[in-house]
Amino acid sequence: MSPRTKKIRLIQRRPSFAGFRPYGNQKPGACEVALNFEEYEAIKLCDYELLTHSEASAMMNISRPTFTRIYESARRKIAKAFVEGSTICIEGGKSVVNTHWQECQTCKISFSVTEKNPHVCPLCQTPVLEELEIQ
Amino acid sequence: MKIAFALSENHHRSYIDDHFGRCNWYGVYDTDTKKAQYLENPNRYAEEGAGCTSVDYLMEYGIQAIVAGRFGSRVVELLKKKNIQMIIPEGTKTMEEIIKLYKN
Repeated sequence: MSPRTKKIRLIQRRPSFAGFRPYGNQKPGACEVALNFEEYEAIKLCDYELLTHSEASAMMNISRPTFTRIYESARRKIAKAFVEGSTICIEGGKSVVNTHWQECQTCKISFSVTEKNPHVCPLCQTPVLEELEIQ
Repeated sequence: MKIAFALSENHHRSYIDDHFGRCNWYGVYDTDTKKAQYLENPNRYAEEGAGCTSVDYLMEYGIQAIVAGRFGSRVVELLKKKNIQMIIPEGTKTMEEIIKLYKN
């Protein structure tokens, strides 16, 4: 029997960086820890924005136990990287960016899409053709 | 259109603040009259919900877009509901630099 399909987790916005690297005595070929986007989001909602697990799970459109599991997994991965001095890459997972963000290449800004002007840069008023990639 | 800016200081050369709810000042720029006013953020030391309270505060000035480095998740939900556009500049920019990009 195939495993039950994972529900898609909603995240607000991807981080603007790809990960973290320890400095100082770095082991060559130290293994990397892959933190996925929903784990990053769980830490952000819970420990940065100080939401409760149930508020955060509603935000990500998953059940509270699932949220707690993702959060635990995220903490363990971060602890592993912290103790072992590994690099953390933020990648993959099964999530979709909830808010529709677009980028204007001319102004170098991202903006959220509203009903009034969905595909026009709010500053230079140029229509934006390319949509942000959604996985 | 009125655009709100999350700012560190109360002048147009101030950098855009990283955190919408916790910045020191808000700049409200009117693109029609080309005038700006600066409002002290009354909620910057609030324990919780600084962002959402600030949205209500800025709504009184009739803003249609907000520029900040980052928005909290609750603020994102609220602004989507109120149909206010969020603008996040790439890297560090000043309020003046963003206003210069605006074309009618």
